[in-house]
Order: sequence, then structure tokens, then C-alpha cells
Amino acid sequence: MREQRRKDAVWRFLTYTFVLAATVVMLVPLYWMIVAASLPQELFIEFPPRLYPGTSFFDNFAALQERSNFVRSIGNSVFIAVVYTIISILLCSMAGFAFAKYEFRFKEPIFYVILATLVLPIQLLVIPLFLMMSQIGWTDTFRAIILPWLANPIGIFLMRQNMQSIPDALLESARMDGATEFQLFYRIALPAMRSSVAALAIILFLFQWDLFLYPLVILEDSANYTIPVALAGLEGSQRVYFDQIMVATSLAIIPLAILFLFLQKQFVSGILAGSLKE
Amino acid sequence: MSTWLPNDDRLGADSDAGSLRTRAWDRFRFARQAYSRVVPELGPVAYIFIAPFFILFTLFLAFPIAYTIYLSFFRYEGVSGDRWFWIDLGPIFIEVPRIAELSFVGFGNYLRILGDGLFWQSMFNTTYILAIQVPIMIGLALALAVALNASFLRFKGFFRTAIAIPVSANIVAYSTVFLLLFNEQFGLINYMLATIGVEPIAWLRSEFWARKTIIAAVTWRWTGYNMIILLAGLQNIPQQLYEAAEIDGASRIEKFRYVTLPQLKPVLLFVIVLSTIGTFKLFAEPYVITGGGPTNATITIVQYIYREAFQSWNLGYASALTVIFVAIVSVISVIQIRIGGDN
Repeated sequence: MREQRRKDAVWRFLTYTFVLAATVVMLVPLYWMIVAASLPQELFIEFPPRLYPGTSFFDNFAALQERSNFVRSIGNSVFIAVVYTIISILLCSMAGFAFAKYEFRFKEPIFYVILATLVLPIQLLVIPLFLMMSQIGWTDTFRAIILPWLANPIGIFLMRQNMQSIPDALLESARMDGATEFQLFYRIALPAMRSSVAALAIILFLFQWDLFLYPLVILEDSANYTIPVALAGLEGSQRVYFDQIMVATSLAIIPLAILFLFLQKQFVSGILAGSLKE
Repeated sequence: MSTWLPNDDRLGADSDAGSLRTRAWDRFRFARQAYSRVVPELGPVAYIFIAPFFILFTLFLAFPIAYTIYLSFFRYEGVSGDRWFWIDLGPIFIEVPRIAELSFVGFGNYLRILGDGLFWQSMFNTTYILAIQVPIMIGLALALAVALNASFLRFKGFFRTAIAIPVSANIVAYSTVFLLLFNEQFGLINYMLATIGVEPIAWLRSEFWARKTIIAAVTWRWTGYNMIILLAGLQNIPQQLYEAAEIDGASRIEKFRYVTLPQLKPVLLFVIVLSTIGTFKLFAEPYVITGGGPTNATITIVQYIYREAFQSWNLGYASALTVIFVAIVSVISVIQIRIGGDN
């Protein structure tokens, strides 16, 4: 018995050590980013480095802003991701509603064609989309970044799956009361899907927020850059100003991290829904 | 937009018994009613609902996929001023431009892939990275999920949040942070190594260490993600199984070996395949951290496709590379679906 208790204590100690170590490893890069962002470059690159934050975050920010308008890139990214998320949710849930609650010709084949594209990596589309966009003169526009990804197979799949749980009787009785089909969709189906819509919103927002290769190819003018493209440009420039770059990465990472703290439940269900496509 | 519904009031008014037309109408109505009982709704409304999605899907997903395959049989010669086809109806003139100037090379691009050293190098790099990265990451994620699922652990919410927080980090932004962490002169990693007496390592200038840097970065970003999925899987294991094992006197390791692992196997296989695909598609991390170097030791397949397409402008050849890349990913995905299907 005593033996068992000692074993348990050792086990507990090991578990805590391991979890604590993992927590430190996950947080240190973020902490280091903030330290680097808040120190003047001279202080930061000396050896040994300073391990606690300084006070020049805003000076570094001003220098960054002067060199490349990073605030504008943040604005671009937020605008693109928000507009994309809203329109895509609308399209996906409308289509998902039709696939869940109506019968029409070619329903099954259309759905399976859409489903088949789920497995395709999006990198597949970069070359043809680039050629199409250049030909119609849409390079360097936000619509070229937003439009191609609106018809999101994961979105339609999730919405169809969840909308199947809406009872037919409910829709039928609303029809008896004279509701139009479109009213059924946005008065009954969409509000009932609130938690699925939240999870889908997270999936779509992060998808667009992290999109890198495609905007890198499409966007030319630095005024139109999204955060990832702007960051890659900063890092690739002649002299590397780590203090300024870390201000930029802080501005890219910290707001989303705070959002994650507050919307953890939605993030987790988004991750589970987005990964477990089944 | 309201659809036609069998409605007796509306039709009853002119149902004149004896009239052939009305009887036929009644029969039709009856059939329609019977059908609508099986099938809740019919009519064009559904098409209106799916139309926006379907149009965008065709234009920006289905067509580009077909066009990539088409392009892979050609050499790209530049943008085209030509038109592909046009419809001239007097006042209405519709013109569809030719997308690019191309010359047909048959299977030439595919044959070229076979002898392309850099392609095989990128295949090797990608496979090397994922062969090390995926087992380490899944092992860590599993250990963390089991630890966070332990009943005695306090501050679960805090630990879970802290470990999962990298899932919210922008890919390019976190890669940039790692570029700094692994900086040879003033990176934190070399500083910490120096405090325990290790000579600074040239992380980004050595083939061996550059790959390890990429592996470390990807592992940081995605361990929490996999842990979340595994944790959900662990929480679905019925508690009775553990109780039964305890009655049988199973030790902690035995419980893990004979209850947790078999129960978690589908989810575990699933995250392994998911991570394999994810690492196979690696692009931003090597682009930012190593630029594919040193001497192409970390160039990945997607990065090589990007270079061929948008730096050398060999768009036809890059399309052939894409087709091969997608074929490999699809094979892995089909395995993934098989695994998911068993559940």
C-alpha cells in the first residue's frame, strides 16, 4: 500500500513536470517575441541577450510603420478574412440547407463531386487561378483573394451534416403558416445552427488568415499586402530589423491569441469539425 | 419564391366533378401529394439555394483542376492576347480570352520529372522531415493528452490553453519568430545552449540542423492541435473499461497498453494521417526560415513547385509537378478516409 502511494506520488510529479515543461516550451517563443519587440535593436542583439521586456515597443512600432505600412496590412487581412467568412458561411449554409432538406435531380452526384474535392490540397489551384486572374486583370485585387475560396467544400459538408438534424415537421409547419422557402432558411435553419456556424466561422477565418502562397502570387502592390505577405517581405529585405519585425509578428499573433482565450470552445469545436471531416 | 404545395382550398374551387380535365388534374394532384410525402420538397428553390455555391465551385475549383491537368501537357510561352472563343450575335458580343500561350509537349513534362534531381531532392527533404516530425509530434501530443486527462491534474484549463495556444498563431508570423529563436548569433536557443556550455550551433547554415529547425517549428505549431483531437478521443473512452481493468489489478502502464491504446487507435491513426498530409504540404515554414537552403536541403515539394512556377515561369512543368503532388496527397487522403470509414 505504502509502495503504491509512493509510486503514485512519483507519477504525479512526473506528470506535472512534463505538462509544465510543455507549457513553458509553448509560451517561451511568444514571450521572446514580446521581449524582442519591446527592446531597441542594439540591446537585443547583444550577448548575453536581455531576457525581460523593455519599453521601446511603440518606438519600434513607429519605425516599422514608417518603413512599411503594416497597420494597413493588418486592415487588409482583417477585411479580407471577415468579408470572406461572412459570404462563405452564407453560401455554404444555403447550399448545405438545400442538400439536407430538399430533393432535386442530380443531388447525389453533385454532392459527391463536391465531397471529392475535400481531399485536394489547395496548392493545386494556385497556378490556374493565377493565370485566370491575370487574364481577367484581377491580380492585385481583394476579390481575387476572396472569391476563389468562397465555395468551401468543408463548409458545405459541415452545414449539410448539421442541418439534417432540423426536423422536417418544423419546416413543414412553418410552410403551413405561409413562410417562404427563403424565410425557412434564415428564420429557422440558420438560427438553429448557431454553434455550427460559430465553428465554421473559426475554420474559415483561420483558413483565410493563414493563406500565404496564393496571396503571395496574386498581390503585387505592397499597399494591398495581407499580413503573411507583408511579413515575408519584411524578413526578406536587405537589412533585417528584428525589433521591428517582432513588433509586426506580435501584432499578427497576439490579437488572435486573445481571441483564442475567449472563444476557446468555438476554436476547439472548429478544430474538431475541420479535422474530423467524418 | 414559395413552392407549389398541394392545397385543397386553392384547387377545390374549380373541381367540377365529371369534367375530364379536372379528374386528370385531381389524379396529378394526388400523385404529386403522394410524392411529396416521400420527398419533403421539390421544385426549383433548391437550385436557387445551391446556385451561388455551385457557380463559384465550377469556376474556381472544378475548372482550375481540369485546367491544371490540361496545362501539364504543355509548355507555357507567356500570356496570350488571343481569344479562345467568341460569340457574335450582332449587338451581343461575348469573348472568352485564351488563358495562356501554350505549346503542346505531350508527356514531356512528366518525363522531365523523372530525371529532375531537384524534384527528387524535394521529395526526399519532405519525406525526411515528416518521417521525423510526425512521430515526435504525435508522441508528444498523445503524452500531453493522456497527462491532461489524468483525474489528479489541477489547473487543467490553464495547461490546455497554454499548450493549444499556438493553433491561433499565423503561419508566417510564427515562422518569423522561429527564425529569430534559432538565429546563430543572438537567438535564444543558442544562448540557452551557451549557459549549459554548448558551443553555438549554426542552425540555418548546416543541412542537418536546418532540417531540425523546421521540424522544431512545425512541432511547436501543431502539437496542441493534435492534442485537442486526441483529448476529445480520450474523453470518449468509457470510464467503465478503466474501472474493470483496475479491478483486474492492471497497473498504469497496463491500462494504457490494453485500454487506452486500442480504444484510441482510430483517432490516433487519423491524426497520424492528417499530420502526414499537413507536413507533406509544407511551404511557409521553409520559405521563411531557411528559404529552402542551405543548398536545397530543406526545399519542400510545394516550395519547388512555387519556384518552378513563379520564379522560373515554367507553368506547364509546374502543373505536371502539381499533378504528381496531388496524386500522392490523394492516395494518403484515401487511406485517411478508409480509416475514418472504419469508425
